[in-house]
Amino acid sequence: MIEINNLSVSIDNKKILESFDLKINSGEVHAIMGPNGSGKSTLANVLAGKNGYTVEGEILYEGMDLLSLSTEERAQKGLFLAFQYPLEIPGVNTNNFLKTSLNTIRKIKGLKELDSLDFLKIVKEKAKNLKVEEKILNRQLNVGFSGGEKKKNEILQMTILEPKLAILDETDSGLDIDALRIVSDGVNSLRNKKRSFLIITHYQRLLDYIKPDFVHVLMDGKIAKTGCSELAQELEKVGYEEIGEDK
Amino acid sequence: MILRFDEFSKKNQNNDDLDNTRRKNFNIFQKKGFPSKKEESWKYTDLKTIIDRNLSKLEIPYKEKISQYEKKWLIKNFEHNQIILLNGSFVESSFKFENKKKFKIKSFKDILKNKEGFEKLKDFFTEHKNSLETLNHALVSDGIILEVDDNYFFKKPLIIYNFFDIFSKDKIINNKFFISLGNNSKLDIIDYFKSQEQVKYFNNTVHNYFVKKNSILKKFNINNNLDNSYNYHLANIKCYSNSIFENFLFSSGSSLLKNEIHCDLLESFSSCFINGVIFLDNQKHHELKTNVNHKYEHCKSSQLIKSVLLDNSCGAYQGKIYVNKNAQKTNGYQLSKAWVLSENSEFNSKPELEIYADDVKCTHGSTSGNIDQNSVFYLMSRGLSKEQANQMLVEGFLNEAIETITDINIKSLISKLFINRISKVKISN
Repeated sequence: MIEINNLSVSIDNKKILESFDLKINSGEVHAIMGPNGSGKSTLANVLAGKNGYTVEGEILYEGMDLLSLSTEERAQKGLFLAFQYPLEIPGVNTNNFLKTSLNTIRKIKGLKELDSLDFLKIVKEKAKNLKVEEKILNRQLNVGFSGGEKKKNEILQMTILEPKLAILDETDSGLDIDALRIVSDGVNSLRNKKRSFLIITHYQRLLDYIKPDFVHVLMDGKIAKTGCSELAQELEKVGYEEIGEDK
Repeated sequence: MILRFDEFSKKNQNNDDLDNTRRKNFNIFQKKGFPSKKEESWKYTDLKTIIDRNLSKLEIPYKEKISQYEKKWLIKNFEHNQIILLNGSFVESSFKFENKKKFKIKSFKDILKNKEGFEKLKDFFTEHKNSLETLNHALVSDGIILEVDDNYFFKKPLIIYNFFDIFSKDKIINNKFFISLGNNSKLDIIDYFKSQEQVKYFNNTVHNYFVKKNSILKKFNINNNLDNSYNYHLANIKCYSNSIFENFLFSSGSSLLKNEIHCDLLESFSSCFINGVIFLDNQKHHELKTNVNHKYEHCKSSQLIKSVLLDNSCGAYQGKIYVNKNAQKTNGYQLSKAWVLSENSEFNSKPELEIYADDVKCTHGSTSGNIDQNSVFYLMSRGLSKEQANQMLVEGFLNEAIETITDINIKSLISKLFINRISKVKISN
């Protein structure tokens, strides 16, 4: 699905990621954990194509050179980033935005664009599964949403757009236990052999609900350790510092 | 540029009173000339220079040209009453949804024809806010007089169509609109403008509105179908006890447009709301100047203006809230937000408060900025192109002002025109 080779990222001459390697196969769920400032969100932003970073190295996404694609091309080709801090977009109706987004992606895929009725049917059902209140879909995008509503809205977008590779950037932070379970159920329901996930988190808690195939520990811009899901539990006990010393 | 008043005067003789009033006013105008940036209230719109540069052949129309408006210019799928003016002349009116006993509608020209008629309207020839209003007194050719009785709610909105065809070319067209609502009445007016492509003219219109006790007058200005025209609209509004005046402006067409609104809140619990969208491309130059006078206690006013400037366009907002020393418990609000999206575009804002009472609540603010790039990234990460993202953000930004429209049908009409207008413009930044 995606292969990251020898990736270095800096911003204003400050190195954030250095010689970073990661390979995610179809159907796999990878978790990246790491302390504050280790470069987790930078990795997510670079994958989604945010400007402002100096990037070296190679990222192959389904065999394509990801770095040569624009942000919207990446999204159109099935890459999805659930934002750590979803932006508030005043004046833009959530439903209209979702419809425009879905239809743009459908058009690229060669599928028929959905009319309002068909679209609403899909949205209503998916919103119900995620216990997203219908009325917030008629509000301005993320404006006045609670932290939990914003995060659920990200997952709703993911379930509507059905990406091939979903990157979840600290989706669990700010969620209460019930919301965490709902969001995890949403993610789990999308898991299949063709879809991959990269889950970025501080805490092991989320990984109790979404069992990853691999856990990586990111420290100082590099992967310090890789293991299976038990690594997350170990981290919770001993903290990042000791893992760093291990290395 | 010389306006040939004598020629106009000779061919336009009505009654001595009117003829003398016209001459007196023209002489005052002659001394002052068109307003220039030397005057504080014209410092963002140097009309004298603009006219010299663009309208050097301007002439006063004195002979009526016979032409007809095209039916396709009318708004469809929207139930409304209508008044049609073509090249500034009253053509016809139709009020098929209303009880016609409840109001009187006349053309200004018909009233001016006889001495008694002019006698009644004399009061509307006395104000001199600037030399354009004076010029309007001298040259007014036609307009509308609409008087609504007490206790009458119009069932449907009234669209005043202001059409300009080839016969407006190089003309200065002066109109007066007079609208008065009796007690406990309600009327929604849409001032809709359309000019034939590339026809260049100057339209100088003075509006006088009276909103009596418990009445509601809502006015919507739509000018997105104006092309290469130059316009000045001065509105004087008087609000009495517990009345509401609301004005929404969709300011987007025409090379030059200055809207000036003077609203007097004369008695308690009256309110004035002025909201609008200024969306300009190419070389367009639009200004909105407001002056809300709180003359009595317990009145409310609110203004929200959102602007987006592209290309080489220029926008300005001069908003003033004046609070008289008697106007205790005033609630005044004023906010202007602009996005200046090109290096060559410009927005000037001057929000002002002048307060002489001590128990009032007034806020004002003004910001200018650009599209937030993080928001663009967010939308692009969902598959939208940069252009789509910009468009969506600009639409959303301006929507806040459109959302202030409370009537669902009018809101949807203006929304449609707005989206249609915005979708034809490429927004890059």
